[in-house]
Amino acid sequence: MIELDDIFLDSFTGLLDTVSDHGAIRAVEAGGSTAAIWEAVQESGFVDALLPEDDGGAGFDTATVVPLVNAAGERLLPVAFAQTMVARMLAARAGAELGVDGAVTLWPLSEEGTLRSQVAPAAWEAGHALVQQGHQFTVRPLVVGKQRDGFGYIPAELDMGAEPLASFTLDGVDLLDWASAITALLIAGACNKVLAMTIDYLNERKQFGRALSKFQAIQHNCAVMAEHAVIAATAARIGFTADDGNLSTLRVAMARSVTFDAAAQISALAHAGFAAIGITEEYDLQLYVRALKRWQISFGSDSFWARKLGQARIAGTYDTSADFIRDRLAPEPVA
Amino acid sequence: MTSFAKTFRATYLPAEAEAFRAEIKEFLKEWTAKRPPHRRARSWQGFDREFSLALGAKGWLGLTIPKQYGGGDRSFFHRFVLVEELLAAGAPVAAHWIADRQSAPLLLHYGTQEQREKLIPAICRGEAFYCIGMSEPNSGSDLASVRSRAVPDGDGPDGGGWVLNGQKIWTTYAHESDYMIALVRTSGEPDDRQKGLSQILIDLKAPGVTVRPIEDLTGEAHFNEVFFEDVRLPADALIGQEGNGWAQVNAELAFERSGPERIYSSIVLLDIWADFLARRAGANPAAEVALGRLLARMAALREMSVAITGRLVEGESPVLEAALIKELGTTMEQDTPVEIARLIGDDPDEVVDPELLRTLAYVMQVSPAYSLRGGTREILRGMIARGLGLR
Ligand SMILES: Cc1cc2nc3c(=O)[nH]c(=O)nc-3n(C[C@H](O)[C@H](O)[C@H](O)COP(=O)(O)OP(=O)(O)OC[C@H]3O[C@@H](n4cnc5c(N)ncnc54)[C@H](O)[C@@H]3O)c2cc1C
Repeated sequence: MIELDDIFLDSFTGLLDTVSDHGAIRAVEAGGSTAAIWEAVQESGFVDALLPEDDGGAGFDTATVVPLVNAAGERLLPVAFAQTMVARMLAARAGAELGVDGAVTLWPLSEEGTLRSQVAPAAWEAGHALVQQGHQFTVRPLVVGKQRDGFGYIPAELDMGAEPLASFTLDGVDLLDWASAITALLIAGACNKVLAMTIDYLNERKQFGRALSKFQAIQHNCAVMAEHAVIAATAARIGFTADDGNLSTLRVAMARSVTFDAAAQISALAHAGFAAIGITEEYDLQLYVRALKRWQISFGSDSFWARKLGQARIAGTYDTSADFIRDRLAPEPVA
Repeated sequence: MTSFAKTFRATYLPAEAEAFRAEIKEFLKEWTAKRPPHRRARSWQGFDREFSLALGAKGWLGLTIPKQYGGGDRSFFHRFVLVEELLAAGAPVAAHWIADRQSAPLLLHYGTQEQREKLIPAICRGEAFYCIGMSEPNSGSDLASVRSRAVPDGDGPDGGGWVLNGQKIWTTYAHESDYMIALVRTSGEPDDRQKGLSQILIDLKAPGVTVRPIEDLTGEAHFNEVFFEDVRLPADALIGQEGNGWAQVNAELAFERSGPERIYSSIVLLDIWADFLARRAGANPAAEVALGRLLARMAALREMSVAITGRLVEGESPVLEAALIKELGTTMEQDTPVEIARLIGDDPDEVVDPELLRTLAYVMQVSPAYSLRGGTREILRGMIARGLGLR
């Protein structure tokens, strides 16, 4: 596996810090355009990281770009950066073109033609979607939904009237896995950020004449947050490893189950630490906890994914769960 | 947090360590067939002298210890594979557990050449069993307050030596062990706290040592009270430097916390429950979800444990990360019987395999200890908080 150079990662996170700060995110949520943000991300070249070198990309494997996707989650980057990376890679694999330069999000459909998520991608994250139904992939324009969802996000809708911009077939690819694996990485990134924000706040804020961070109950809550942040990062990293170009559904399941818990625990403990100020619209914590909660139920929630693992375990003929984990969940070394 | 990401970066067991696995599985077949699941669920509390001797004969004790002391001279990755297989199978590892995991590395690191040559080979053969004497009746989490005391003995046979008085408690398998490595005061006063503590080796057959087993809540006796009354110890009972015991103990506990043993304590129960669910697949979706949730945590923790092993191989000592894994791991191990209990009674009319029930009953009762032994949950959270810059 190629390890991303710190210099690359720093240049990417530096870019995100300028284009995707809290002010920018608030402006987007208020209905502002993401065009400038996308342009900056596009110019960075990182969107082609998974594209083979012959197609003008960097030819990285998925494991290499994990820190980039984490960073996008950490900064709530409001454009479909990782999704576009994957869409471009899949199109190239099919020998096709996406037919758009802008952001492309992932849109797995059920047999009945409905989005395989109770929560639709945000309208601001992309103008187009890579849509999968069976082995058929199409690129379709998105339109802005009429009503904000319960999390305050404006959902995207598929423009079913418009002609697809591209169409190709691919076997053995499950877009639900890809969308979910990305969700897990975004959760892990945002969890990390919420932990850091909480620690900073508790070191600053004083009650009873001392910093709140000096109280043991508070320290223990932070320790628990750190534990969840670390296991979430590990699980999400494994979820995004592709052995032969494809994700493993079971690893994605593992990542989604673990990050579901992490998102729940970390938001709850962050709220406990910030107390009343964290409940306000004005304070930036809300940007993160809203995103985390929305991601928890995007593209299937914990029970959908966990059951897949349970079923695979009992359907297999494993002597022990350690054997099952090693055989089905542990990533293979990448050359 | 970036440092956490670096510690837990993708790490793979090398092929030669993986290749070791088949041999271990083959060896364990016969031993596990002899033990029903509720016995195998004893995990690292299961005591069997014969088994330890057999492992020693295989050359699998002291696996990472250099050959010159009778060890296997293999990597921490090999040890990970061995321990993973032993625990997953519920093999009775308790007899040699402390000697192999803690005492031999401790002696290798801090012992004199003479102590190493004298003590380590017997550990590697499975002939010398050790226990840990840290806790005392009034010194639990506050270990620096230990009061057992060894004073220099001018009249000792070799002109040096020590006289030990005091008491240890909760000493796992002291009643079956040959030696205790104890943390005791050798200089200064209780107010000096960490200063003046040392680690000493106590031959449990020495006159003046009394070992009294304590029954646990399941009626078994695995831990003990140990009393010392004017116990005379030779000069070379001292391990490492006089007064350096505190630092040595903490280095030892870091070892204690980082291995796969913090993931697999409830695995035998989990697996016989999985077998039970397999016989009625599809009948209980909630149980399949719960099983999946536990496996997800176990898999992520295993990955973290492999990563820690990788850092040990590279010569690092990720103490904070080891505490993190232990906390997450013991919580998952403790949630396992809770979830299984929640789901197993979903239909009171159904007959459940008595062996599964017996195993569940055992793990339900002993699992609270998972987050006590080797430092409590609260103490670990304090360590983690310090690492986060909160203390
Ligand atoms: C099965 C088992 C095997 C064991 N084997 C051994 C062994 O072989 N050798 C050995 O030396 N010991 C052994 N122990 C003892 C173990 O190390 C101690 O139980 C442990 O260190 C806690 O000490 P304690 O029981 O005295 O509890 P205490 O220290 O009295 O703690 C009681 C409660 O108070 C909490 N607490 C204590 N201090 C603080 C603090 N500063 N802040 C917040 N909370 C605090 C603790 O977390 C705990 O919840 C064993 C214990 C068990 C259960």
